[in-house]
Amino acid sequence: MKRMKKNRRKRNEVLTAYGFLLPNLVGLTVFVFFPMIYAFYVSLHDWNALSPKVFIGFDNYVEMASDKRWWASVGRTFLFTLIYVPALYCLSLFFAVILNNLKQKYQSIARTMFLLPFAITSVISAVIWMFLYDPRNGVLNQLLSSLGFDKLEFLGSTNQALVSIVVVILWINIGYNMIIFMASIKEIPKDYYEAAKIDGASAWRAFRSITFPLLRGTSTFILIVTMIASFTVFDQIMVMTSGGPASSTEVSVLYIYKQAFEFLNMGYASALAVILFLIIFILSLAQLRLYTKKG
Amino acid sequence: MKLWKKLMTIGFVLTLIVMAGCSSDSEGESGDVVTLTFSDFHSEGDQEFFEGLVDEYNKMQDEVKIEYTTTGNLTDYSNTKLPVAFANNEGPDIFMTSPGDFQKYADAGVLADLSPYFKEGVKEDFLPSALEAVTVDDKILALPFELELLGLYYNKTMLEEANLEVPKTWDELLAAAKKLTTDDVAGIALPTDKGAYLNFVWYPFLWQNGGSVLNEDGTKSTFNTPEVAEALDIWGSFFQEGAAPSKLQIDPTDIGNLGGGTAAMQIVGTWAIPMLESEYADGDEFGLAPIPIPEGGKHATAAGGWKFAVNAKSEHVKEAADFIMWAVGDDKERPLEYVTETKFAYAPRQSVVEEGKEFYDKGLRKVFTEEIYDSAIPEPKFGAEVVDAVGEALQNVMFGGMSGKEAAKIADEKIQSILDSKK
Repeated sequence: MKRMKKNRRKRNEVLTAYGFLLPNLVGLTVFVFFPMIYAFYVSLHDWNALSPKVFIGFDNYVEMASDKRWWASVGRTFLFTLIYVPALYCLSLFFAVILNNLKQKYQSIARTMFLLPFAITSVISAVIWMFLYDPRNGVLNQLLSSLGFDKLEFLGSTNQALVSIVVVILWINIGYNMIIFMASIKEIPKDYYEAAKIDGASAWRAFRSITFPLLRGTSTFILIVTMIASFTVFDQIMVMTSGGPASSTEVSVLYIYKQAFEFLNMGYASALAVILFLIIFILSLAQLRLYTKKG
Repeated sequence: MKLWKKLMTIGFVLTLIVMAGCSSDSEGESGDVVTLTFSDFHSEGDQEFFEGLVDEYNKMQDEVKIEYTTTGNLTDYSNTKLPVAFANNEGPDIFMTSPGDFQKYADAGVLADLSPYFKEGVKEDFLPSALEAVTVDDKILALPFELELLGLYYNKTMLEEANLEVPKTWDELLAAAKKLTTDDVAGIALPTDKGAYLNFVWYPFLWQNGGSVLNEDGTKSTFNTPEVAEALDIWGSFFQEGAAPSKLQIDPTDIGNLGGGTAAMQIVGTWAIPMLESEYADGDEFGLAPIPIPEGGKHATAAGGWKFAVNAKSEHVKEAADFIMWAVGDDKERPLEYVTETKFAYAPRQSVVEEGKEFYDKGLRKVFTEEIYDSAIPEPKFGAEVVDAVGEALQNVMFGGMSGKEAAKIADEKIQSILDSKK
């Protein structure tokens, strides 16, 4: 009898859990899984959105293999990721550790200041930075020339545009990731640090042997999420340079957008999107593997 | 197991509900009245003009009812609204198209042939070149209602202070732009970002030098020629030599660059004149001249502008065509009001221009009418990928450190391969 009751209660719990999950699952099915499968279906067609789809099998994928501009955009996306992800990781961890050592009162002020950019709409922050970056009247160049440096072209230069965009997106996201780090730093028991202090460990040593290893879970999460975000970066670039100058900031998603909505090659654009998805998927798996194996 | 089945059923039903809620019912008619949808991107004064037109039309007859909507934003309209609507078979009955988009809609067969709907004598009234620009296989696929021309606007005081004459040749233009450049003022404001507008402003330079993008029948690229290379080089040198800013804070289509004093010269279209007069009303401060030409070249300017189009898949092509013919292809008043009062542009119909003669001589308009109008060439209707390849060539000379010759050669191969793949 007792056992049956327990079973029934468990079953009720499961039912309730799925009941709560249901709206979300339906949403995911309709707005995420279905469009994903549909995108794959479209990628097997020649379709300009205006006339009916023509089935062409894997021709779009064959065409992609020799599309230099696509692979250049993938290369640029990798470059963006290689600059952005480590920079975001190091800076947000650095600020989290520093802020964590401040007095509570200053800590909350500083935290709010770091988080503010995150609350600004991405398009608006892009526009704000375009004013700062303006080669002629922008604040940054005024500052540089008053300090005796040469003026920079920022978004108007093929060498500086991508890095300039990285800076903007860092500015937006550091605060948020810093707060995640701070939360998990607070969970590390104080005794560890006290023990380390008694053993005569320096602050750097304590960071290396206590804080850093115990943040592995958080680090994994932040690295993977940031990597995915950096592979799908779009809005700020669209607003600030729309891929220019001379294609120097044309990342994969931007190229997909152009193929889809400027050239109306919906089928081809879907094929590109499927491949980009696979790249992100494989990289995320590999990363997850790499970080969890050690732990 | 039972639980799963239940959940699946509920999930399935919910999915259906959501999907049913998302799909819109396609209803076209109510009773005997034909309802037509008319969608565009205009805002402010232009929007009011088109709303007024639609109201007037709806009131004067009771067989057709037109519903007008606008996105208020050009990029949303051409890159999202229209393609998405057509993809869902919900394209508007009446819409607008520009030379940058025209070809893709024509290729897709969604532009209805308007030739049968012209009223007596009206077809002959249109400028032949304006109709030619919208004609494919002898079918007139869109109806132009405005011609916007480009000219060189300049700040008279700045030129005087620098002891400069109004530039007449490419070399003079470049020299003037360099001399006028200071820490606060750009010598000349030109479009910087890739897109149809960048090409549009460059085409006069190309044509003045005798170059072209494609051959007459649009089957071969003619981009790899010295004429094209030179036109690319002069354009690139404004940017390489710092006389044109690599980024603009104010949109390049906006005369605010010149009007606000952050640029000494700006190449921009007819639409800038009402703005200069109303916002920067400082009388004699600004001048206007034809775009300078190369040594031995001949004057040319690009004529852009939007066109009415009718959805070939609409069930009521005739009714839709009748409306646009009534709007801009019938009497002279309505089209004239748009190009003179709502904005400043030229009508593509000779009788309308004639009717507005007095107006076309007012202020700076006189320069367009007397010195620029005759050299106008309609913006060519290339496919979006050709437009992009030309834009890439421009970007390469502006920012990529390439010579015009190299950039022209790369673009030539690209354009030819695009043309070949469309066959």
